[in-house]
Amino acid sequence: MGETPAPARRGLILLAFLAALALLWQAVYSAGFLPGYSLPSPGQTAARLVELARDGSLWPSVEASVVRMVLGFILSAALGLALGVAMGVSPLADSCLRSLFLGVQTLPSAAWVPIALLLFGLGDAAIYFVIVMSSMAAMAIATADGIATIPPNYVRAARSLGTSGLALSTRVALPAALPHVVTGVKLGWTLGWHGVVSAELIKSSIGLGFLLHAGRELNDAAQVVGIMLVTIAIGLLLDRLLFSVVERRIRVRWGFAPDSARG
Amino acid sequence: MSAPAVSAPAASARIVLRGAAKRFVTRRAAVDALGPLDLEVAAGEFVVLVGPSGCGKTTLLNLVAGFESPSAGSVEVDGVPVTGPGPDRAMIFQEPALFPWLDVEDNVGFGLRQHGHLSAAERRAVAAEHLRLVHLEGFGHAYVHELSGGMKQRAALARALAPQPRALLCDEPFGSLDALTRERLYAELQELHAAKRRTTLFVTHNTREAACLADRVLVLSPRPARVTSVLRIDLPRPRDFYDPRVSELAGQILALLRGDASGGGLSRG
Repeated sequence: MGETPAPARRGLILLAFLAALALLWQAVYSAGFLPGYSLPSPGQTAARLVELARDGSLWPSVEASVVRMVLGFILSAALGLALGVAMGVSPLADSCLRSLFLGVQTLPSAAWVPIALLLFGLGDAAIYFVIVMSSMAAMAIATADGIATIPPNYVRAARSLGTSGLALSTRVALPAALPHVVTGVKLGWTLGWHGVVSAELIKSSIGLGFLLHAGRELNDAAQVVGIMLVTIAIGLLLDRLLFSVVERRIRVRWGFAPDSARG
Repeated sequence: MSAPAVSAPAASARIVLRGAAKRFVTRRAAVDALGPLDLEVAAGEFVVLVGPSGCGKTTLLNLVAGFESPSAGSVEVDGVPVTGPGPDRAMIFQEPALFPWLDVEDNVGFGLRQHGHLSAAERRAVAAEHLRLVHLEGFGHAYVHELSGGMKQRAALARALAPQPRALLCDEPFGSLDALTRERLYAELQELHAAKRRTTLFVTHNTREAACLADRVLVLSPRPARVTSVLRIDLPRPRDFYDPRVSELAGQILALLRGDASGGGLSRG
C-alpha cells in the first residue's frame, strides 16, 4: 500500500471526493432518470435545509434528538459497562448473558419501536428504551471481551504486588480492557443514534426522525435527503469529537499507533 | 509495621518446600507437573533451577508465588504456609507484563499504593530511587511501549523491587532479550543481589546464565520435576559471563541435564 498522506493533504483529497459525489448526484438529477419529486438536486436540498433552519423547525429538532441521545446513551452505557464487567469476571454471568445479547444485537433498532410503544406509550421513555436496547448489548459484549482477553500476567503481576479484591477490578481489569471498552462505546454510540432516529420516525412530534417522517408525508424529497445528511453529519461529528479522540489517545499510549501520530 | 525505609536492607525470606507436588486434572487427563519435591532456599541465597522445557519449573515458581496451591505437600515462606500471592514475594516474568495504561514511574510505584501510609510524593521518591537502581533515570514519564526490551525488563525489575519484597521469583526473565542486553543485565542483577542479598529463585534453561548467577544450581528431571543433582557454585562475585570457570561449570550443568535426558527422557519421544 502507498504511504499515508499528511493530514492537510488528506483533508483536501476528502473535500475533492465529496465535491465529485455532489457533481455525480447533480448529473444523475440533470439526466432526468427520476422524477423531480423523488430525487431532489443538491441545490434544492441545500435550499430546503436553509429554509428549515430559517423557519425555526430544524434546530429544535436537532436539539431534541441530541438531548435524547445523550441521556439515553448515558443510561445505556452505565448498564452495558456494568453488565460487561459482570460478564468479564463471572463465567456464569457470561454464559447466561452472552447469547442473549448476541441475539438482541441481531434485531434492527427499528424493530424495537413497536414493543417500545406498547410498553411505554407515546412518552420519551419509549425512545430511551429503543436507545438502550439498540446499543447496550454491543457495549456489554465489548467490555466482557476486553476483560476476558487481559494478559493473565497483568493480573498475576498485580496480585504479587499486593493487589486484591475490588482494586484488582478498578486498577487492573478495567484499565487493561480500556481499548476494547472504548471501541464498544463508540459502536454503542452509533447504534444508539440509529435507535433515536428510528424511534422518532415512528412516534414523535419533534426530532430528526420526525422531520424525515414529515418530509415523506409531504412528498418533500429535498427535506428527506437534507435531514438524512444532517443526521449523518451530527453522528459523524460527535463520533469524531468524542470517541475518536479518546480512542486515538489510548492507541498511542498502548503503542498501537505509529509514533508519528503523537506529533 | 514501620514504614519501609527505602535504603534499609529488606529481610530475606527462607523458602521451604516439603513433598510439594502439583497435579493438573483436566477432563481428558491428569498431568503430574511437579514432584513430590523437597527444596530449601536459605535467606539471601540465589538458587537457579534448570531443567528441560515443560518439566514444571514454572509450576514450582507459581507454587511459591501463591498463584497455584500444591496438590500434596507444603510450601512455606519463613515458616508460614503460602496461601496466595503477596507483596513479600515479587515475580518477574519472561514478558515484562508492565501496565501500558501507566507511565514507567507509575508502573514502578504500583505496588507501593498498597502501602497506604506512603504519600504520593513518597511513592514518587521510592519509584525514582528504583529507576536509578536499574539505570532508567529520566524514563519515568515514558510510555511502556517506548522502552526497548531490555529497558522494559529493567522497569519490571524496579517495579518488583520497589515494595521491598523478601524474595524475588524470576521465570526466565531474560529469555526473550538479545545477547548483549542480557549480558549487561547479568551484571546488574548481580549488583542488585550483592546490595540486598534478597532470596532469589530463578528459572532458566540457559546453563551459562545459571553458572553466572547462582549460589546453587538445581538440575530438574523431565516432568514431573524432581531435583536430580545439586551444584554449589563458589566463584567470587561479580562473575563475568565469559569467565572460563563459568563456561566450565555451564558445561558441567549441561552434562547433568543431558545425562538426565538420556536416562529418563526416552519415553518422552
